[in-house]
Amino acid sequence: MAQADALYVDYLPVLLAAIVGFVLVFSALIGSRLLAPFSQEREKGTTYECGMLPLQRASTNFGMRFYLYAILFVVFDVEAVFIFPWALSFMGIGQFAYWSMVVFIGILGLGLGYAWKKGALQWR
Amino acid sequence: MSLAQELHYIGPALALFVGAGVVLFADVLSGRRAPRWGLTLAALAVALAWTFVLAMDGDARGEALSGAVRVDAFSIYFAFLLVGVTLAVVLCAKRWADSIEQGAEFYGLLLISAASMVLLAQGNDLITIFVALETTSIAQFIMAGLARTDRSAEAGLKYLLTGSVAAAVLLYGFAFLFGMAGSTSLPVVAEYVASAPESGRLPLLLAFVFIIGGFGYKMALAPFHAWVPDVYQGAPSIVGSFLSVASKAAGFAVALRVFYTGLGGGDSFMAEDWAIFVAVIAGLSMIFGNTGALLQTNAKRLLGYSSVAQAGNVAVGFAAVAAGSTIGPSGVLFFLGTYAVTNLGAFIAVHVVAERLGTEEIADYAGLSRRSPALAAVLSLCLISLTGIPPTAGFIAKVYIFNAAVQTGHDWLVVLVAVAVVNTAISAFYYLRWVRTMWMDDPVEETRFQPAGAVQVVLLLSGFGVLLFGVWPGPLINAARSAAETLSIL
Repeated sequence: MAQADALYVDYLPVLLAAIVGFVLVFSALIGSRLLAPFSQEREKGTTYECGMLPLQRASTNFGMRFYLYAILFVVFDVEAVFIFPWALSFMGIGQFAYWSMVVFIGILGLGLGYAWKKGALQWR
Repeated sequence: MSLAQELHYIGPALALFVGAGVVLFADVLSGRRAPRWGLTLAALAVALAWTFVLAMDGDARGEALSGAVRVDAFSIYFAFLLVGVTLAVVLCAKRWADSIEQGAEFYGLLLISAASMVLLAQGNDLITIFVALETTSIAQFIMAGLARTDRSAEAGLKYLLTGSVAAAVLLYGFAFLFGMAGSTSLPVVAEYVASAPESGRLPLLLAFVFIIGGFGYKMALAPFHAWVPDVYQGAPSIVGSFLSVASKAAGFAVALRVFYTGLGGGDSFMAEDWAIFVAVIAGLSMIFGNTGALLQTNAKRLLGYSSVAQAGNVAVGFAAVAAGSTIGPSGVLFFLGTYAVTNLGAFIAVHVVAERLGTEEIADYAGLSRRSPALAAVLSLCLISLTGIPPTAGFIAKVYIFNAAVQTGHDWLVVLVAVAVVNTAISAFYYLRWVRTMWMDDPVEETRFQPAGAVQVVLLLSGFGVLLFGVWPGPLINAARSAAETLSIL
């Protein structure tokens, strides 16, 4: 009964943080708009006010290969996320935990083997 | 529960998952490309999965994987439907899959997607449901972009971006449920909802809105429908047929499950709020779908809008479920069963025409009756069924669902049915115009053509099914009824 009420109470700090956040951000934005001096010189419109002029657009094409590596990296990154808690509670669970992880790593290994065989690890 | 029992329960999904792995590794290990293997292996895996489904006892009721998966008549009904559709798609895909570079990947992805859909229909836990939904979606994103044309890539990207947002929204809804009930297991959530205090109304309503948003995306309901025409048009037509039938059916299956088993269905103290919400969405889907379809000249795009409108029809049944109709759930199940047969036939016919004549424009269907009479007959039959004219399955399904809605006795549901009937009249315009083009207009070319053997079988079965369920719907209705009954029993 009180569970749902408690739920609202738990979210009260979130609401407060949201309100304070809005007030802070908008007061800063409006304050700087009101107080700061503005100049319309040509240099103000450049990317860096002091420094080199940019030579080309910042967004360029880059190889799809990086994307493949990123994906493969994420696979093993996530694996690490699972292995750490597993290693901590391993002693308590025993055999079952061991085989679960063997299966998990086996499936990941199959995936890596597939990617390898497909030539995804080759830098061409 | 014994290991054998568990394996038996997750057998269909497991067969499909393992099949996907075998297809992919056979491709990568066979050195030279062997697309033939892909088809055979995929067909074997799907056939095996189907045997597992058929081997299940219709009265079986149990849980596997520590309660994450639930097997009952409901999940068997949908597993049968989904695996059957997958089998048909695999059989029709050969020619197209041979023509692309990643034929084996296509079969692999199709099997993964199908396996996750089966799990989705069996899901009994919010986490299982979400993971299955994501697995099936990601496989579909890739399949939509497989054709290496600009349109296909666009379809894949659009599907991916909008699908990710929908998944996030859905997860947010699940988080609300978990926050309130303290568990991701549907029966536990149901216990909480049954005894929820009045102050739980707002968070439950929020959760419901988010969940319907997420599932509505899969079911192609307005206002979450904008991706449908673009993706159906851009994706390869065989992928489109899979999306429009299997994906939608799985979406409705899981929505029914979560709503009925998790949120208490029509017995809940909030049932009326939910019913009104779903009714509005149903009305919007029918209106957007049908008016959108009116002016389409591309066959796949038209089927996309029509699919939105049909989802609206199913949602009428959904609203009736929420309003306490006892025959509502079986109406939804029956509609989905007939819709699968009908839309699969229509989409495969469009696929054949796109492949043989290289066109998707409805104007180019002129005189199809003279060039390929059987194809034109099946397509016409399916379109007539989609309109809802007797003696086809679509008519019975619509009558069933609208009857369920009217019988609840709520005025606003009667209004909704009135909207649906007006929309049926609108839909007759574009469906029957297409039929007229096929039979009345003169063809530009007279050359005759015939689809491949397996495709012919699928098309004939679908045309036969449309007629069969139109004149003798009894068995399917009974199956839908007994499937729906297991939904409400915890």
